[in-house]
Formats: sequence, structure tokens, C-alpha cells
Amino acid sequence: MGALLAVAETVEEGVYEPGSLRRIPGGLALALDNPPLRVGAFGGVRVLVEGVPVTPDRLRLRHGEGTPWRTGVEVTPESPFPWGPGERTEFEVTAVDVPAGTRICVRIELRSRAIPPLVWCEIREVPAPEEPAR
Amino acid sequence: MSGSPGAPRPRTPVVLTGLASAAVLDGRGDLELMREMRGAEVECGGVLGQCVRLTGAWRVRLRLGETETGLPETCVGSAAVPGGWRTDHAWGDLRVVETVAAVSGVPGAVRTFEASTVGPTPLDLRVTSSFRPVLAPVLVEGIEPHRFQLEGHADQLRIRQRVFGLSIRSSVAPSYLFLNRGSWLGGRWSGRIDAIGAEFSLPVAPGAPTTLSLLVHGGLVRDLDAAEAAAGAVLADPGAAARAVDADDRAWTASTPSLTFPDAPTLTQGYERARAGLRRLYCAPGDELTGLVAGYPWYAALWGRDLAWMLEAVAWLGDFDWMRRSIDTAVRYQCRADLALVGGEPGEFPMQISPGPVFFYGTSDTTLYFPSRMEEWLDHSGTTEMPDGWAEALDRSVEWGRARADPETGLLRHGGEAEEIAAAIPELARVRYGIDAPDTTIWDSADRRDHAIDIQALWWQALDAAERLGAPSAGDGSGGSIASLRDRVAACVRRAYPWPAEEYLFDTVRDGRGEGPVRPNALRAVSAGLFEGDVARRLVARAAQPDLSTAWGVRTRSSADAGYDPTAYHEGQVWTIATAWLADAALAAGDRELGAATLVRIAELLARDELGPNECFRGDRPEPFDSCFLLGFSVAPFLTVLFRRLWGLRVDARRARLEVRPAFPSGWTNARMERLRVGNGTVDLNWTPTRLEVRWTGPGPLTVDGGTAPVVLTAGAAGAIPLGPVRELS
Repeated sequence: MGALLAVAETVEEGVYEPGSLRRIPGGLALALDNPPLRVGAFGGVRVLVEGVPVTPDRLRLRHGEGTPWRTGVEVTPESPFPWGPGERTEFEVTAVDVPAGTRICVRIELRSRAIPPLVWCEIREVPAPEEPAR
Repeated sequence: MSGSPGAPRPRTPVVLTGLASAAVLDGRGDLELMREMRGAEVECGGVLGQCVRLTGAWRVRLRLGETETGLPETCVGSAAVPGGWRTDHAWGDLRVVETVAAVSGVPGAVRTFEASTVGPTPLDLRVTSSFRPVLAPVLVEGIEPHRFQLEGHADQLRIRQRVFGLSIRSSVAPSYLFLNRGSWLGGRWSGRIDAIGAEFSLPVAPGAPTTLSLLVHGGLVRDLDAAEAAAGAVLADPGAAARAVDADDRAWTASTPSLTFPDAPTLTQGYERARAGLRRLYCAPGDELTGLVAGYPWYAALWGRDLAWMLEAVAWLGDFDWMRRSIDTAVRYQCRADLALVGGEPGEFPMQISPGPVFFYGTSDTTLYFPSRMEEWLDHSGTTEMPDGWAEALDRSVEWGRARADPETGLLRHGGEAEEIAAAIPELARVRYGIDAPDTTIWDSADRRDHAIDIQALWWQALDAAERLGAPSAGDGSGGSIASLRDRVAACVRRAYPWPAEEYLFDTVRDGRGEGPVRPNALRAVSAGLFEGDVARRLVARAAQPDLSTAWGVRTRSSADAGYDPTAYHEGQVWTIATAWLADAALAAGDRELGAATLVRIAELLARDELGPNECFRGDRPEPFDSCFLLGFSVAPFLTVLFRRLWGLRVDARRARLEVRPAFPSGWTNARMERLRVGNGTVDLNWTPTRLEVRWTGPGPLTVDGGTAPVVLTAGAAGAIPLGPVRELS
């Protein structure tokens, strides 16, 4: 079962960037190193914190520094968010109230137009504290 | 080197394969290929070994003094050469001929560069090779690890990601190594790798070409040491790798039937292209696994469902040994206990297998194909005894189905397979993933619960084959025989699925009621023989209506349905396998003109598309979308229909019998076939509307039944066989 375990570990460690869940002013940020389980153009994205959906205008995502942010409102079937293998992607949500030091569940849902069923990932972790302003 | 390079090609896919290897490229020199996948542009080029994606795009740059260029930018010609791909490059006075080949001896690919100059002065050529390692099995679609362990050895670099690894070797020692954006002195290193590369110094003097060979091979770390000697031999004679692949291909092709349709040359060419495409999918990646990978560029592993579809064609092509070893492989991974984490239930055949072993279950149909494949192997090979383990596997398959069968109707219930896997992952795990796919039929992104029509046809066929093969009755004390269950399923399908408003069949039965939409899957019930005569012909005619059938194939869902989406994989896209279903059902129902025309339609796609008919196309225009460019689903059913339906062949080598009931369209004047394997012999057929000539080379007599009076041919004999009346459409 060594190879099967290696696959499970590759999936578990290959998507969520360890320790990237952290507080930002008024919200949370995290990064994924790969799209979860499915690649392609996503026509819808949703984030839930502790089961509560973040309103799309309070969610933004981008492929990394230097690339433009897009809000959840701007990701639509007509204007999908392309996400290839190995592409690191940053997420930020605001207007989220999470008590300090608490382990929380952040769920990201992505909807591909090419293959409709929802793809999701959930991260359960205590968010790292907000980085001091530089 | 043979072959004369033509003009540089546009960026179209090239796939080079050995039995455990593949190289994917766009034909311009580098192993890179940007390809639309699931609606986004994705890099699909690189090297695969043992069903593990070893590298991402593997690129080479050329440098002369302070000037530098990418290799593809210098491409002036390209061509397929036996067992490989050649590109010619010109850059100033520099000429480079590159040959790429997938290797048979070790799982990987070798690139050979022969550099020369047409100028009067020597050139100080520097060649830089670089790629990003991937080292993830094909199973984990789209996940590329970032962290690796790197080790420099005297003659190679090794990169490892858990149990997966690769080795990079060169025929010339590198003058410089780099890792990510900096130089690297060698030794051991661990961490993120975005690029690993080396620079080679290649002085080129007039009249004295210089050669550099680069080999990337790997898959499982544990197999790297054993491949050392073979890898050294590949570098010593890289041309031998391509020659070996070519020799194997030629020998295999020569052992398969040749088909000639003088009245439809497109079909003759289509057969040859489909057969060549199927050959590219042959795979023996190690760990005693044998089979055919599902397709390229992103399904390069053994998928049970796809394998089952391909093995039917492999039987017709006469490769009984490969078919048996492939079934043995699937049987070995048939689930023996509840394995919730990989979606397995007792008796279930695997969804996917690759070396490691890495295996996974969770489909509702894969298990149901194998009883028929076992029977076909016996029928074609003429073996009278089941191979070891098959009888038990057959019993387990039937019991797996019984456990899912409705006690009243006998219909097989499906759905929930993928959800069970997600549910098996601990709720409180730090990271969890899932796909909300409630169902896993062949259209596994569509919810077709509870009793999809094609699943019931398959279930009926599985029971039918199991009954003939002597599988035991239910061991649960219910006393239910396989035959009675089979008949109950047939009766229920005939009663519950007819859809008068559409003059078609419901796609599924849910909560006791039939439901649409109109899909091509209903045609499988016609092909299975569950509907015959005028009813079958009406069903075929309905499927041929323009809401389901287009000029480029058959949609997965009627365009008249509210849920139709032309870019949704299983909710409106055109699939080549569905087109083959229409041909199959049309010929089964006696519509020879529609059946042959549909086969010609697939053959035209074979001639047009890069490597074969694409997996799928948009539903609203003939444009590949989210499509593998080479897929077993697209070539194998086409091949099978040519033999089983168009030629009307039924092989029963165990009883030394061959049925021939041709269904060629009116107006055809001739069709020929050579080297059809029947047991230990071969058959040649030559048909005209008034005569069927048969030549038999087997060791004993063969009875040939053309639909009237069977004729017995003795060993080495030829004869004319009387043909029965052709079934006409009413």
C-alpha cells in the first residue's frame, strides 16, 4: 500500500500550501499550489468559512503576485477562471469574523463548465496570526 | 535515419510510445504541447514512464556566443520516422537534427541531437536542457508536486517524490548544472523544484558533426537501480530504441487482419489508422501489469472500463495473448473485500490501475464488461478451459451485481460510488477533497441514477455470458438462477423503458418511473439484442434525428432538452464512442445504409484529426473540446463494429465455427479480409454480392455458416459459402 499512501500524501500535500491559512485585516487568506482534483476553466467559485458562504464580492483570487485579482463576482461561466496543474493560486476573503486561536474550516468550491459536478476542498486549521504591517 | 522531413508542422500533437513509456510533443522539437483541457490551456508535453508523469515540458535552448534561441524557433522540417520523430533545425550556419523516441527497454524517452555546420568556421555550441519534474501518477489529474529530493551521481541526476522517481542521463558530461534559477554544484538537495537543467558544450567543426543524447527515464523509485544497465545501453545506441519500437509495431501489425473495402476506401484507411492508434495504447508498465492505456494526453493509465472496450477489438485483431494477460491483470485487482478508501466493494473490477501498485474502484459499469470479455477470449482463442482464477472472478462479478440488484425487477442500482469514497475520508482530517459526482456510469459527470438503460443492458449481457460460462446460481439460498435473473432483467427493460412520446427509450428509471433525456445510451439495449425487429429500427431512427446526431457524431444528450450544454462533457458534447454505438445499433437493427454511413463518418474523423478521432467535440460545432486526441474509446468500438456488424462475424473457435452475415450497404461490390485469427488458424474472406470465398489455414476443419447451409472446410482448404438473405428494412 506504499504507493497508494504516496498518492494520498501527494494529493493532501500537493494542493493546500501548508501554513498559508492566515489572518489578514478583516478576513483570511490562503493559497493552493494546485487546483483540487480537477483542472481547467472554472465558471464559479465559492468559499465557505465555518459553513457560512462568503459573499462573492468579498472573495478574491489570483494566480500569484503580479497577476490581477478577480472577485468571486467576476468568475462566471462566460468569464471563467483558468487553472492549470501546478499553478499556485491565492485566495482572500474579507468580512469574516473568526475568533482568534480557533481551528476553523474553510471550504473552497469550484464549478467547471466542462465537467459540471462540484469540486471542493476543505482546510481545517488554526489560521496564522496577521502579519505585522511593514 | 529514414524519412525525409517535410515543412515544419503547426503545433499538432505527436505521441511516441513504448510499452512502458510515452513522449508527448507538438512536433517542433521540444517535448511541449499546449492543449485545451477542461476549457483552459494546459501544458501536456513531456515524458511518461510506468504511468507516472515524469516531466512537464522539456525544453532545449541553443547558444552561440552571446546569442541564444529556443529549439522550436529554429525548426525547418519535421517528420515521423520509424519508431520516433525527427525535426530539422537551422540557425545561421548551425544545423541540428533531433530524433525523439520513447524507449522500450527502460520507461522513458531519449532525445538525440546531431549538430553540424554549413559554414567554414568551427562553432562553440552550448545546448541547455531543462524541465520541471512532475513525478505524479496519472491518477491524480492536474496535481503537480512541488517538493522533491535531488541527488547528483557521477553519470546521472536522480529526482524523487515519495515512491516516484526519475533519472536524467546524457552521453556528454554537462558543463554546468542549474536548479531553479541558480547554479547547482551537485550532491543532495531537497525542496521546491521549478526547473532542473544542464548545459552541454558541443564544439562543432566543419565536416565533424557532434552528437548529444539525453535520456529521462523512471516511474517507481524502486525500479531505477534495475534499469541502470539498460539505460546505459540506450545512451550508447539511442537509435536502437526507435528501431525496437518500430520492429515490434511492424510485427504486431503483420499479425493482425487486413481489411479492404474497395467501395469505401475511407473505411479501409480508417481501419488502418484506428488499428495503429490502438497499438499506441498498448502498455506493460511493470508490476506484471498488462493492458492498454485509456488515452493521451491525460488518461495514460490502465482504466478498467476503457480496457474492457478495447479488449473486444483486441480479440478481433487476434492478439489473444495480450487479451488474456490484460484480463488476468484486471482479475488480479478485482476487489476481494470492502475497501472504502479506494471505493472498492467485493467483486468489483478496478476503475484504474498503475504500477506501485496504485489502484482505485468506484464505477458502476466496469465490473459488468468482464464476463463478456472472458467469453470472447474463449470464443476467439478456441481455448476450452477457463484460465486460472477466471471462474472465481466471474462468480464474484455476478455476486457484486446481485448485491446491487433490485429484488423485484432485477435491475442493477448504481450511484453513490464517489460519495462513498469522500465519506470514507475522516470528517476531521486537516485537508479533505471531493467531487460531488453522485453517479459513475460511462457518463460519470451526469446523474443518471437509479437504473440507467446502458447499465441494465450491460448487466443483462454479463448475466447472459456468465450463464453460458457456467457461473453458479445464487449461493444465498434464494435459489435464483442466473438465467432467471437475466430473463427478469430483460423483461423489465422491455416493459419499463419504452418512452412512447419520444418513440425511444428512457435514459433511466428512478423511483419506479422512466426519465429522459434522450441519450445515445439507449442504443446499447438494441445492440445487446433486448429490442429487435421494427422496434429496434424505430429506436435507431429516433437516435439518428438531428437533435442527437450531427454531421460529426452523436451527442451525449439531445439538443432539444433543457439540460443540453454543447460544452458539457456528458450533457451535450459529441462523443466518438456514441457515434460508434449508432453504427453498431443500426447494423444490428438491419439499417445497413445508416450503419455504414456512420462508420464512414468516424473514418473521416480518423483522416482529419491529428491522431485519430478525438474523444469528444462541442455539441454545436465540429470542434474538439476537452478532448483527448487519442483515446481507446474512439478507436476500439469502431474497429469492433467493422468486424462484428459490418462483416457480421461471430467466432466460436471452441467449436471450430465461424458465422459470416455481411451487412454491407446496397451497391457495394466487394470486401476483403485477410488473417482473421480463429483459434490456431486464420481465415481469409472475399465477398461479392453473389459469393463469399473463404480460405482457412487452421489445423482442423472449420464450419463456416453464411446463413443457409453451413460448409465444412478442411485444413488448408478454400471454398465458396452460400449466403443467406440480407435482412432489409421494413
